[in-house]
This record gives sequence, structure tokens and C-alpha cells, in this order.
Amino acid sequence: MIEFEKFKLDNGLTVIFHKDITTPMAVVNTLYDVGARDESEEKTGFAHLFEHLMFGGSVNIPDFDAPLQNAGGESNAFTSNDITNYYDVLPNYNLETALWLESDRMLSLGFTPKSLEVQRNVVIEEFKQRYLNQPYGDVWLELRPLAYEEHPYKWATIGKEISHIEEATMDDVKAFFQKHYNPSNAILCVAGNFELEYIKEVVTKWYGDIPSGKKPARILPLEPEQTKFKEKTIERDVPTDAFYYAFKMPERRDPSYYIVDVLSDALGREKSSRLYVSLKKEKQIVSNIIAYITGSIDHGLLVISGKLNNGKTFEELDIALWEVLDELKKNKMSDEELARLMIKIRTEKEFSEQGLLNRAMNLCTFELLGDANGINQEAEIYHAITPDHLLEMSKYILMKTNCTLLKVKSTQDAK
Amino acid sequence: MLNRTIQPDLKTVDKIDFVNPTIYDITSDVKLFFMKDVPNETTRFDLYFDAGNIRGKKGIPTFASSLLLSGTNEKSSTQINNEIDALGGFMESGLSAETSCITMYCLRENMLPLLHVLTNAIDNVAFLEREVTELLADKKQAFLMNMEKVSYLAQRAFQQRLFNSSEIYSSIATPDFYENVEIETLKKFFKNNYQNGLTKVVVVGNLDQDTIDETIDTLGKWVKKGTCEFEKNIKNLPGQIHIQKENAVQTAIRMGKILFNKTHEDYNDFMVLNTILGDYFGSRLMSNIREDKGYTYGIGSMVAEYNHVGYFMIATEVGKEVKDATLTEIKIEIEKLQTELIEVEELDLIRNYLLGQLLKSADGPYSMMDLYLSAETHGLNFDFYNKAIKDLHTITPERIRDLAIKHLVWDEMTIVSAG
Repeated sequence: MIEFEKFKLDNGLTVIFHKDITTPMAVVNTLYDVGARDESEEKTGFAHLFEHLMFGGSVNIPDFDAPLQNAGGESNAFTSNDITNYYDVLPNYNLETALWLESDRMLSLGFTPKSLEVQRNVVIEEFKQRYLNQPYGDVWLELRPLAYEEHPYKWATIGKEISHIEEATMDDVKAFFQKHYNPSNAILCVAGNFELEYIKEVVTKWYGDIPSGKKPARILPLEPEQTKFKEKTIERDVPTDAFYYAFKMPERRDPSYYIVDVLSDALGREKSSRLYVSLKKEKQIVSNIIAYITGSIDHGLLVISGKLNNGKTFEELDIALWEVLDELKKNKMSDEELARLMIKIRTEKEFSEQGLLNRAMNLCTFELLGDANGINQEAEIYHAITPDHLLEMSKYILMKTNCTLLKVKSTQDAK
Repeated sequence: MLNRTIQPDLKTVDKIDFVNPTIYDITSDVKLFFMKDVPNETTRFDLYFDAGNIRGKKGIPTFASSLLLSGTNEKSSTQINNEIDALGGFMESGLSAETSCITMYCLRENMLPLLHVLTNAIDNVAFLEREVTELLADKKQAFLMNMEKVSYLAQRAFQQRLFNSSEIYSSIATPDFYENVEIETLKKFFKNNYQNGLTKVVVVGNLDQDTIDETIDTLGKWVKKGTCEFEKNIKNLPGQIHIQKENAVQTAIRMGKILFNKTHEDYNDFMVLNTILGDYFGSRLMSNIREDKGYTYGIGSMVAEYNHVGYFMIATEVGKEVKDATLTEIKIEIEKLQTELIEVEELDLIRNYLLGQLLKSADGPYSMMDLYLSAETHGLNFDFYNKAIKDLHTITPERIRDLAIKHLVWDEMTIVSAG
């Protein structure tokens, strides 16, 4: 059970306080309810570029990192298709420095031309390093627009193409800040060995006078229901053929989201999973295979991906893979198998809640989904899942008409 | 009215409460380190073996480490994996030059059952031909994929030249490793380096004394008799080389030289110098090459430690057109450290930052154990960190400059680029 207190400032900022008396550290986690899904199709990669600019100095403080490092702390951030999340970890007696820095960049940024110019370059190098200069690095740049027709999940957080980042202007950047970075669009979590009264006092002190702004309405294009199988083959200079089967799944707030999560575990999480045992150990068609879900807030994907063994074909793979999926859809899972999946989920959750930062981040994420206390209800939701649920859900999700397949064909000679 | 231009008052870490693990002698050479104070149900145990990469040739240590759970004459690898998963165990195996380590994460109620599944599977591993063949094919595929990455190409050539004077330390994987392996050689390696190679056991978790006693009883049969020998004198090959990779859009750079580890008198102060140069977000290299020039997504420097030696390394991936410009800027930054004294403000910042990071490294039983182990490997204990805190408070700008002159000599560096 993770204890927390929640309060709201007059300007709309939601604040969660999580007390932990065992740690000398403090965490300040700020979740902004903006991600790549909020970008326009002509200006993708913005939420992420903006995350970089948030470290380029704020209205009253020219440098973000140095004062935090001086306080013994460090900071980082990440952007997803759904959210942008910033965190600071520092010794607890220097908490106010993190609040000072975070509140000032919520108030306004420095918007220096130099910062924009440099971060554009840094992001372009990031684009190259992670997506272009790695074998199979561009797979998600191909898979997303294949799987999604309308929803902005059809582009990756890094952006559709480098030119969108190259062409970002200061006006674009300022407009993005105005729209998305204000107290009513943020959730703050402070965690550490503090008293609630103290947290209320210092958070009000630093954040209380930030103008509230308006929570932007989110009206995203609806993804039409997929009715037919989609498939694409790309050729790349990679050593091995690779495959990505993607199935549309329910959104994060739907209780059946968790059922699909367990399905993906059954298929390909561990070396005891069905696809691993059948396709790798028994039939030796693949060298590796995994299944996972994207964890998206809107309709996400259950993905099965892996690489073919030398001399094996996509056709052999396809037949063997659908046999495993069909078996899951035909016969109820044994209690023993379900128990095996559940103990892993329980163990993983215990470990993930070990860390103060993880707890703070998860509290913010659950608050965004509707209620921070969701963090304490998750275990029960998993526990209530039965073989019948899994059977029903697999029939609904693991259909050919709900599937998008991306094949990466190696252009290298067999070695 | 709130003045937002002034930073709130700061405090500096002056003391850290380190918590020692309890130490049990399995034999006079092999110990079990136990940290009991865990406020939840989680447990971790690590088994260390004298089975690192330097102990065998042609990939044998890698294959042995990967095949530990590949099945016995009674149980297939799938049955073993089923048993581990049914107990909620998450296993990791790590292999470095000088050691092999198996780590298990689980709930405390499952710790002993998992230990028994694991020891039974390992002790009876049969090295079945089918499993060996499958592994070789997988490793070959992974190798070919790695060879597509400029970071891997640079890293591997760097390792070769860094450990130039030692044949075994500088040995790197080549395609012929994956063509054929003698199962008898594997078995022999396994017997010498695992079944008679356990060098250390680590347990973190709220477990009772009986559990620890049973752990010691279970593992006692594997302990290594006698001490492990490691290379003491290694020299790198200075100079610059480039590895051509067609169609790469970035170039990877790895540069550095053989240095020392925690046992050396310059270590603590050199770590301050290393931090200034490239080991935090505001470092000289990051400020110049990422935040000013925008040449890279990231650049960093580090010190890696071995039993008797260590090395210093700078690593980055940069746009292919700015490789030479990057090397020039790295050189400029090193020369600055050798000729200009660091400002008091920057040194204060580094000191506060490192103290804060040390506090974080000692936060919670898992971190505390890892921090302890990082000293214990070199025959040290938490006194080492208490001294480090003291050294941080007394280090001077002159000392930093002198260390830069002494240890960061450009002409002594091995420089590799790939792209």
C-alpha cells in the first residue's frame, strides 16, 4: 500500500505528497499532460524537442542544471506519445531548490535563440543515434503509420521526419508552451521524509502565484476500427529478417487493458512463454521472440516481434505463430499457467515500488488516469483476472483482421 | 514578494550513515555478504564465479555462462525456466572480463526454493548438443547485428588496443567463435570455474538466520579453493585509428588509457577531475560538445575498474562530419584543465553534486550493498567512502590541474573512431 495525500492549489495545480521516512533523498516529479499525440501532423517531434528546451533556462533562472547540481541533485525527463515527465532527485534538505527551479520553468521559459538552435541539433543527433544509425532502428517509424490511419500515434515521439525539427521556429515553441505548460495541465508529486503541512507551505510558496492558464481541450482524431489485415515489407541492410505483428488493444482506462497485458505475458514475456517455447525451442524458426504491450493511454498495441533463424521463411513463421495464437483462443489457460504469470507480475510490482522515484512517477501517472490511488488497486485488478477473461479477450484481440504486420527483409547475403 | 532570481539556501552533505552488511565465512577465502534491513518482501541474491572472459578462449566463458540453465539429463531448459517463472524469479547473468555473476530477484518467500532450482539445474547441466548448437547460432546472429553498430565496432577495437600488452584481456569476439565449440572444453571449463569457482555470495532481503545457513550449506560445494590471479601490468597502445563503416550517419569515438582503481592514492581526486571533464550533465565535455556545439546527443567520460588496474575512457557518437572537430574540442577541454585552475564556484558545485550522488548511492539496502561491494572487491570497506567525503572537502584547484597534467596526457591515449 502506497500512502499519499493530495491537494490542489487555486491555480489548478494538482499536488500529491508521498511520505517515506526511510530515505534521505527527495523526489520532485512533474507530469505535464502533453505528448506527441497532441502535435499537429505538420509539426511532429515538438513535445520532445520542447522537453529539451525546458533545460535551457527559465524566465528568472538562466541555467536549470547547475543550481540543482549545486544542491547535490540531478534531473532528467522523458517524452512519450502521451505525456512529458520531468523529475529531480536531491538530498531532502535541499528540496526547495527543486521547487524553485521547477516552478520557475512552469511560470515561463527563457526562450533564448541559442537554446533553440543547439537543442534542434542535439535532437537531430538523437534521431540519428537512436533511429537511423542502429540496425532495425527505424522500425517504429514504419510500423506506427502502418498500424494507425488517423490517430496521432501514427508518428513516433522523435517525430515523423528530421525536417519537422529543423523547421521549428521560436513562435512555434512559444505557442506550444502557452498552450500546454501551465498549472492546470500538470501534476506534481513531492516524495520524501517531510510533513504534509511543510509541503503545503513550500509548494504554495513557489507555485501559488503562477497564473492558472487553461487546460487545453484534447480532441484527437478517432482511429477507425481496423477491419482488415495490413502488411508491409521493407528491405534493409541488416543481418537477419525481422518481424513485428501488432494488434490493436483497449485503451489504458479500460479494465480489459490488464487482461491484454496478461495475454502478452502468456505469449512472449519469459522463456516459459508460449511463443518462445513453440517457435524457438521446439520448431527453431526464430532466434528470439517477445510479446509486449505499448502501454498507451489511448488504444495501444500488443506487439509480437522477433528475428528469423537463418534459412527460415516468413511463411513458416506465420503458420507457426498463428497456431500458437489459435490455441490460446480455443482452449482455456490452465490455473497453473495463470499462477505463473501472476507471481511474476506481483514480484515485478514489489521491485518497481522499491524506488522512491518510481513511486512518485506512478502516482502522477495514475492521477492523470483519474485517481492516484489506482496505484494501490492494480494488484487487485490483476488478481481478479480468470482463464475465462483471457479466453474471451484473446478471441477479440488476436484476430487476423485486427493485425498489422511489418516484415524487415535482410538484403545481406546469408552468411 | 517572492524573489525568484535567488536560489533557496543550501545545505551540504557532511556525513552519510553507512550500514555494513553482515559477513559470513563460507571458507576463509569465500564470503557471504548479507543485508537484512529490507522494508518489503523483495529479495536478491548474487553468485559470483571465477569464470570471467579472461579465464577461457574463443568465447568459452560466454557460452558457459549462457548455457548454465540449458538443461540436465532429467530436465529440459524449458522445464527449468517453467520452475523459475512459477516461483516468480527474475534471473540475470552478467559476464565481465574478470568475473561471472548470476543474480536472482524474487520475493523472500521464494528465495530458498529458487536457490535450489538454480543450483540443481547448474550442478547437473548436461551441455546437450542441441542446446549448444542453438546458442551458437543465436550468438552468431547477435554478433553480426552488433557489427552493424558503430558503437560496437569502436568499442571492440578500443578494447583490443587498450589492453594491448595482454593477450587474454585484449581478446575480442571473432566470427569463427561461433562455428564450432568442443563440448568437452565447455564441460571442463564448467567444472573448474563454476563447480569449483564460487568466489562470493551476496544476499539482500528480510530473511531469517536459517535461510542464510541453508544458503551457505547449499553453495558450500562450489567454493573456489585458493585465490584468483589477475593481471597487474597492462599497457595500452597509444595512437589513433579509424574503422570504416559504409552508410553510417554517425561516427562513434572511444578514447582513453590504462589507469588505476580505488586502491590508488590518486583515485578519489581523479574522480573529481573525471566528473568535471565528462561525468555529469553539466560537465565540460557536455557543455561544450552537446550544449554549445550540438555535435552529439551525449558525451561522457568514465573510469572502469578491474581487480588490479582500471582505465579511463571518453565515449560519444557524433555527426559524421564533425568527428575531427569533436576530437579537437576534447583536446582543448583537456588542455584547459592542465593549464587553467578551476574556479571555486565550479569546484563547489562538483563537490556538492558528488556528495549528493554518494548519498543517493547509499539510499536503501540494495544501493547500500552495491556501494559496499564496489569497495569490497578491492579489499576496502566503507572507510573508503568516509575518506572520499573528507578528500572532497579538501581537494584544491591546483591538485586537479596537477592530476590532469599527470594522467590526461594526450599522447598516451588510445583513440578509436568508427563510422
